[in-house]
Amino acid sequence: MKQDEKGVYYAKDIFVTETPEPGKDPKPWGKTAVIGKSQSRIDAYERVSGTAVYPSDLSLPNMLYGAILRCPHPHAIIKKVDTSRANKMPGVLAIISAATSEADIYWSYSKDVKTKLFDPHCRFEGETIAAVAAQTPYQASDALRSIQVDYQILPYIVDEQNALESGATKVHEGGNLVKPEETYFRGDIEKGFAQADVVLEESYRTECQVHTPMEPHGCVAYWDGDLLVIHESTQGVYSVQSNVAQTLGLPLSKVRVIGHYMGGGFGSKLVAGKYTVITALLAKRTGRPVKLFLTREETYLCTGNRPPANMTLKAGVKKDGTLTALDFSVTGTGGAYPAGGTALVDWLIKDLYTCPNVSTKATDVYINTGPARPFRAPGHPQGAWALEQMMDALAEAVGIDPVQLRLKNIPSYSQAREGNPPYTTTGLKDCLEQGAQAFRWNERKKEIEGFNSSKHLRRGVGMASCLWIAGGGGPPSTIILKLFSDGSVNLNMGASDIGTGTKTVMAMVVAEELNVRTEMIQIEHADTGTTQYATPSGGSKTVPTETPAVRSAAINIKQQLLQMAADDLKTQVSTLHFNGDEIVAKNDNSIKIKISEISGLKKRGVVVGIGYRGPNPEGKVVNPFAAQFCEVEVNTKTGEVRIIDFLGANDSGRVMDRLTYDNQVYGGITMGIGFAMTEVRILDSNDTGKMLNRNWHDYKLPTALDMPPHMESLPIDLPDTEANITGAKGLGEPVTIPTAAAIANAVYHATGVRIRKTPLNPTQLSMIFSEHLKEK
Amino acid sequence: MLPNFTYVCASSEKEAIKHLASDGARIHAGGTDLLGCLRDHVFTARKIVSISKLDSLHGIRKTAEGGLRVGALATITEVARNPIIRDRYHVLAQAASEVASPQLRNQGTIGGNICQKPRCWYYRGEFHCLRKGGDQCFAAGGENQFHCIFGGDMCYIVHPSDTSPALLSLGASVQISGKRGSRTVLMEHFHIPPGQDVQKETILEPDEIVTAILLPPASPAMKSSYRKVRARQSWDFALAGTALAIQFSGATVEKARVVFSGVAPVPWRSKEVEKTITGKRLDANLAAKAAEAAVKGAEAMEKNAYKIPLLRGIVEEELIAIAKL
Repeated sequence: MKQDEKGVYYAKDIFVTETPEPGKDPKPWGKTAVIGKSQSRIDAYERVSGTAVYPSDLSLPNMLYGAILRCPHPHAIIKKVDTSRANKMPGVLAIISAATSEADIYWSYSKDVKTKLFDPHCRFEGETIAAVAAQTPYQASDALRSIQVDYQILPYIVDEQNALESGATKVHEGGNLVKPEETYFRGDIEKGFAQADVVLEESYRTECQVHTPMEPHGCVAYWDGDLLVIHESTQGVYSVQSNVAQTLGLPLSKVRVIGHYMGGGFGSKLVAGKYTVITALLAKRTGRPVKLFLTREETYLCTGNRPPANMTLKAGVKKDGTLTALDFSVTGTGGAYPAGGTALVDWLIKDLYTCPNVSTKATDVYINTGPARPFRAPGHPQGAWALEQMMDALAEAVGIDPVQLRLKNIPSYSQAREGNPPYTTTGLKDCLEQGAQAFRWNERKKEIEGFNSSKHLRRGVGMASCLWIAGGGGPPSTIILKLFSDGSVNLNMGASDIGTGTKTVMAMVVAEELNVRTEMIQIEHADTGTTQYATPSGGSKTVPTETPAVRSAAINIKQQLLQMAADDLKTQVSTLHFNGDEIVAKNDNSIKIKISEISGLKKRGVVVGIGYRGPNPEGKVVNPFAAQFCEVEVNTKTGEVRIIDFLGANDSGRVMDRLTYDNQVYGGITMGIGFAMTEVRILDSNDTGKMLNRNWHDYKLPTALDMPPHMESLPIDLPDTEANITGAKGLGEPVTIPTAAAIANAVYHATGVRIRKTPLNPTQLSMIFSEHLKEK
Repeated sequence: MLPNFTYVCASSEKEAIKHLASDGARIHAGGTDLLGCLRDHVFTARKIVSISKLDSLHGIRKTAEGGLRVGALATITEVARNPIIRDRYHVLAQAASEVASPQLRNQGTIGGNICQKPRCWYYRGEFHCLRKGGDQCFAAGGENQFHCIFGGDMCYIVHPSDTSPALLSLGASVQISGKRGSRTVLMEHFHIPPGQDVQKETILEPDEIVTAILLPPASPAMKSSYRKVRARQSWDFALAGTALAIQFSGATVEKARVVFSGVAPVPWRSKEVEKTITGKRLDANLAAKAAEAAVKGAEAMEKNAYKIPLLRGIVEEELIAIAKL
C-alpha cells in the first residue's frame, strides 16, 4: 500500500496521539429521520448574504498590507536586491529579503528539498525575492515596483516533453529526473498480449490545469506576545500550524491557526504557503497585524496545478471482453521542485478493472515552473482520459457495448495493493447498470444514429467510470459535543468546511442521533486554539472521517444521560431507552423522565460527549466508485462541442445530505468539463518561458453557458456498514474523474474521430475535423 | 494596482477635448478596458477624463435620412436590446449580444467597444512588445494560437471587437470630435492596420473622442447576421467570426458585405467572398465556394492554423443559414 492516499492528503510527520478505542460499535442506522434527506446548508444565510467572514474579508485594527516581489523569469540568479528607494517610500514599514535577518529561514519544498525563503537561485517564475508591509495595499504595491533587482537570467526549460533530452537545461544540478522511473508489474505482460484477440496502442495527453479558487491564497497574521495567530484560507488548520511551527522553530502551542470560512481550495490549500510564513515575519517585524493575499496573477504562478500528463497505453482484450494486458507509461512534471508530477496517474490502470497482467512506468521530471499541488483527485482524471478512451476503443474493436465491457471486468478486490485486499463495498456494477438505465443509454445510442444522418451537427453519447484511491477516511479525529440544559448542542471539531457542506452534514449527524433540530446546534471548528486535531479536508475523506466521530460523541452523551436518568428513576440503565425528548422504561411507559428534567444535566448545566474516529476494517479497502454518461452535439465544420446532458452515478456509501451530495456531483462534472474543454496553461516556451494566461480571461474556466442544460445526480445509496459507523464514503473527487473521458468518448461516438489530447474545443478540433471528416 | 491619476468628469464635449489634449490624459466611458489596461501596466495615465455625463453622447435615435444615430455612450446592452436595431440591423444586435458577459455588456459602451485595445497576451503582459514601443513582436515566434491569419505585418494581433465587423458590414460611419472640430469617417477607415502604424489601433488623435455611430437607412431586402466561435460560450473573444449583410432578390445575392472578426488586426472585409456570391443564387454549393474564397490569402502561423478551417466552416455554415432566414 505504498502508493496510498496517506502520502497525498494526510499531513506528514506530525506526531498524533494514538486514537483511543471508540468502544462498542453502534448498529448502523436503520430508517433515518434526518440523514439522507435534503438539508439546506446551515450557514447558507451567512454565505449568501455576505455576512460570513472569509479570511480575505478580515480587517483588524492597525492592520498593514503585505505584498511579495516575485521573480519575473523562469530561471535566474538574483545578483542584488536594492530596497533603498522602497524603504523611504511613504507608508512602508518593513521590507524583508535575502539581505535581512529572515534570510536564514528555510522553506521545505518537499521532505528532502529545502531552500532559503529568499533563495538567490530562482527556479520558476513567481519565486519569492522580497516582501513588503505597508499601510495601504497601494503603498505596498508601489514599494514592490521600486525595488531594484539585478538578475542573471539563465537558460530555462518549460516543456516537460524535452526535459530529458541531452543538452536540456538542468533545473537542478543533478539533472531533470526527479527520481528513478517508478515501475509496477504484475503477471506476465507479454503472455497477456499473446492471449489477446485485439491489441490496441495509443498515446494521450492532458494539459496542465491550474488552481484558481474563488478566494486567492493568503492570510492575516499577528503576534499576541509570543503566540502567533494566523487567519488563513485553508483546508486544514492543523497542517498549516505544523508547517509554520516547523519553519519558524516554534512549539505547536505557540501557533494558533484559524480557518472557518474559506473560498475554495481543491487541494491547493492543504498546507501553508511561503506567503503564510512571510506574513508572520512581516507581522513580527512591524508588531502589527498584516494581511497578505496573493493577486490572481500570483496564484496562477505559484499555488499549484494538476500536472500535464503524456501517456501511452497498450491494451489487450479477448473477443469475449476479458482484459488480458495493460501496459502504461506516463511522463509528467511537478515543476521546479518535487511535487508528485506523475503521482497516481497510473492508479486506475492498475486497479479499476480486472486484469492479470499489468505494467506501468512513471517518469517525473523537473521544469522551470511553479510546483504542482494536489488537485481534486490527483492523477486520476489524467489516467482516466487514457484508460477510459482505450476501453471505449476496445469495446468497439470486439463489438461489445462500452458499458458491458466494463461490467465484464469488475474486480471485487484491489489488485494493485499488496495482498489483494477486498473492497468493503463496490457499487461499480450498480453505477454502470443503474446509470445506464437512468440515462437510457441503449435507447439513446440508437436514437442518435437517426439524428446524425447527413448533418454536420452530429450527436453522440459517451460514458466512463472510475474509482478513487482514497475516500474511506480514517483516524485520527476527536469531536467534542456539549449538550446544554435546554437541549441545545455545541459541536466542536477541528476539520475545515471547504465549501462542501461539512458543517451541515455534521449537524445532521447530531440531529439524527440526539433528536435535536439543526437550528439548535452551534458549531465551532477549524481553530487550533479551541478545537481538536484534525487532518486537512481533502482526499474525499472528511465525511467518512468526521461523521463517525461525531456519531460516537453523540452516543457518548446518550450513554451519560441514560445513567443520569437511571439514577433519577432509581432503576437500571439497561431497562431504559430514548423516546423523543424523553427517556422511558422499555416495558413501562409510565416510568419516564424528560431529558431537560434530568437532574444531573440541570445541576451540571452541560453534558460533554467525546467521540473518536475508530480504525478502518483490517485488511480491507474503502473506495468510492462512479460512472458518468453524457450526450454531446459536435459541429464538424467549426469544432464546437456542446454538451447536452450529463449524468453522474456515484457509490459513495450512505447518502448523508442529498443537497450537498448533488452539489458535489454537479461541481465535479463542471470542473471536469473545464479540464476536458477549456483549461490549458500556456507557457511562452520559445522566447521567455513565462506563463501567458494568468488571469480569468485568458485562462478559460468554463462559464454557466458551457454547462449542459440538464445534469442529473444518481446516488447509489449503499451504506458501507463495514467501513465505519455512519456508512459514508467520500464523494468530492470521484465526481470529477471520468468526466473528460466521457466527453471524449461521446465526441468519438458522434464523429468517429478519437481526440487524444485536451482541450476539446475549436482551437484543436476544427483542424482535426477538417483533416478527418472531408465531405460529411 | 492602478497608477496615480487625477480624475475629471467633463460637463461638455469641449471641456473633455480640452482635458484630453493634456499630456498623459486618458478617456473614460464604461471603463471596462481602461481599468484593465491601467492595472496591468499596459499604459499609464496621469489624468482620467470621464465623458459619462455628456448627454449628447447618450441615446439611440433615428436620423432625418432614415438611418440611426447610436450615441457613443450607448451601452452594449442598449444596442443589443434596441428594437430598431434588432429589427433592421440584426447583425449589430446579434454581435452586441455576444460581447463578453452580461456585466461587461451593461457597463461597456459601443464607442469603447470599437476603440478596444488588443487582447494579445504579450501586449497585455510583462513584455515590451512592438506595439508598446519595444523592438520585438513576441507573438510572431511565440504562442500565437489566438493571433491573426490576415493582415499581420510586424504585429499579429486580432481586433477584439464584435460590434466593429457588424458596423462595417452595415456601412456605418463614426462621428468624431476634437480640437480641430468634427469629422465623420467610414467605419472601414476607422481602424489602422499594423503595417500603417504599429502603435495605433484607430485613427483617433489623442484629443479626439467618438461621439456617435451613424447607420445608413436599412433596406428591407437586406438580411444580416453575426456568428462568433469562441473557446468558451461566455466572456470570451472570437477565435473567428463573420458578420454578413446581404441584399437578396429572391435567392439571388444582389449586394453583400462580409466582414470577419477574430482573424485580423482590423475588422476584415472579405471582398473575395462578396465577389464570389454577388449576382449568384446562394445555395450550398455556392456557400462552399465562398468558404474557400474566405480563406484565400490566409497565412497561418505556427499555432493558429486551425483558424483557416474554422473560418471556412463558419462562412459556409452562415451563408447557408442566412439564405434560409
